[in-house]
Amino acid sequence: MTAARQPLIKVENLTYQYNGAQPVLKNISLEIGRGECLAVIGQNGSGKTTLVKHFNGLLKPSSGRVYINGRDTGPQKVSTLARTVGYVFQNPDHQIFHDTVGKEVAFGLKNLRLPAEEIERRVNEALEAVGLTGHYATYPFNLSKGQRQRVALASVLAMHTEVIVLDEPTTGQDYRESVQIMEMVKNLHEKGHTIVFITHDMSLVARYAARTVVLCEGEILADAPVRAVFAQPELLARSYLKPPQITLLAQELGKRAIPPDVISVREMYDLLQKARADKIGCCG
Amino acid sequence: MAILEIKNFTFRYPQAARPALKDISLSVAKGEFVGITGPTGAGKTTLACCLNGIIPHFQGGEATGRIELDGLSIFNKSTAQISRLVGSVFQDPEAQIISSEVEQELAFGLENLGFAPVEMEKRISEVLELAGIPDLRHRSTIGLSGGQKQRVAIACALAMRPEILLLDEPTSELDPVGTEEVFQVLSRLNHEHGITVLVVEQKTEQLAAHAGRILVLDDGALVMDGEPWQVFARQRELQAIGVKIPQVTKLAGMLGGSDKYSLPLTVEQARIYIERLVRS
Repeated sequence: MTAARQPLIKVENLTYQYNGAQPVLKNISLEIGRGECLAVIGQNGSGKTTLVKHFNGLLKPSSGRVYINGRDTGPQKVSTLARTVGYVFQNPDHQIFHDTVGKEVAFGLKNLRLPAEEIERRVNEALEAVGLTGHYATYPFNLSKGQRQRVALASVLAMHTEVIVLDEPTTGQDYRESVQIMEMVKNLHEKGHTIVFITHDMSLVARYAARTVVLCEGEILADAPVRAVFAQPELLARSYLKPPQITLLAQELGKRAIPPDVISVREMYDLLQKARADKIGCCG
Repeated sequence: MAILEIKNFTFRYPQAARPALKDISLSVAKGEFVGITGPTGAGKTTLACCLNGIIPHFQGGEATGRIELDGLSIFNKSTAQISRLVGSVFQDPEAQIISSEVEQELAFGLENLGFAPVEMEKRISEVLELAGIPDLRHRSTIGLSGGQKQRVAIACALAMRPEILLLDEPTSELDPVGTEEVFQVLSRLNHEHGITVLVVEQKTEQLAAHAGRILVLDDGALVMDGEPWQVFARQRELQAIGVKIPQVTKLAGMLGGSDKYSLPLTVEQARIYIERLVRS
């Protein structure tokens, strides 16, 4: 297999159980290519976090294999995998442990034994990217939760990893903060990073992901482009999900020449304007 | 009759430079379903804590103005008195649920208040019914879904037979179907049992569909207070504040909608509105 064609992340018959309990993941197989932007969705407890924790070795398969860049994660240390896969936890407070924002962001870079100037350059760049310039010396717990989420994101950004995994990066954020964080993620994707994110917010999936994997009780229910998945509300309902409101509206209007896979308000607006114009055209 | 009356209420946390709530005045009648929204830091949770007595009883700070529950100032009531009037449900059900079985969880508050077993039995059956979860009675609290856990938390709050059910972002950790389950229970409690519901929520699509009135807080001030269509008609202002407009309402706004009849709040209303629009 040549390096260019090999998937960045390859999951092969992955089963995982916590301490001998019922398996949380059941025989999952999945490939993620370089430069993809993938959303993992599914009901509470469907195995989303358990799956993505395998990508940087925080969890190792009970059976099956996970390969990153063609190498089995089984024998690799988390610290080695962390050079390729950055992981932003759902709760930033599970991640942040330094007394200043700057030290927090520098932590991983020091572990890479980079020269001091390089560390400083990357920390400043990452803080700027998340809109926290000037907070180098701030005590992280004096920041709002939304800001702490961005500190956690900055420490992952600074690592310049090929893959960035984000577990519900917008939970507990307000609308504006959610959009800010996702715009940052989009930016990274455009710069060539491979992105995997978990969310319950289907409008964010519609807006930012190209492909989505739907998990249900530890199995993959669907793995397809976002539009194709949202066009199947019965399938989503099996994992306690619903398409975005605008997609539901398209499906209700379906018989009237509106396709069932509309995923943005703007798209719907344009279709309706066209439908109205056509109507006038045919009657006038 | 007003069950809650807030007059010129201002609150500042200890050592804070600026007040968290500024000159809030509003009145809530018995049986209303009120949604409270706004960006982070707007004062939503602070307001909720002022209504269930956490402020000022457990948290210092400086308050001016009045808050009256059922005609009496909240500052003259003990937290025990307040808890019989206001049942609270918080963001994270994990932080609230302490027992290993649903029935025990429901019995906990009642036992503390010294209810007789017969009365406890009656109330437990009643609130399980009200929260739509009679089948969960003997289940372990550990294996429940997020939506089920929050409905257990709601049932617990209802066991005290409060006048007001106060919820602070009860669905922020729930999947879309869990979110819908919680709001359907709230709607039913409100419509069929007349319970006053106050819910702090970022998910404005749910508020638009279920609340009769929406309050928008921004930077500690009450900046909007009206029926959902009145609030969501102010789309530019909402965007500036950072409040999400439900997709179907936003679409209607782009198509020129501006009043109660042209600003649908649910998918069903939007379907009817658009079919009419395309036909005309």
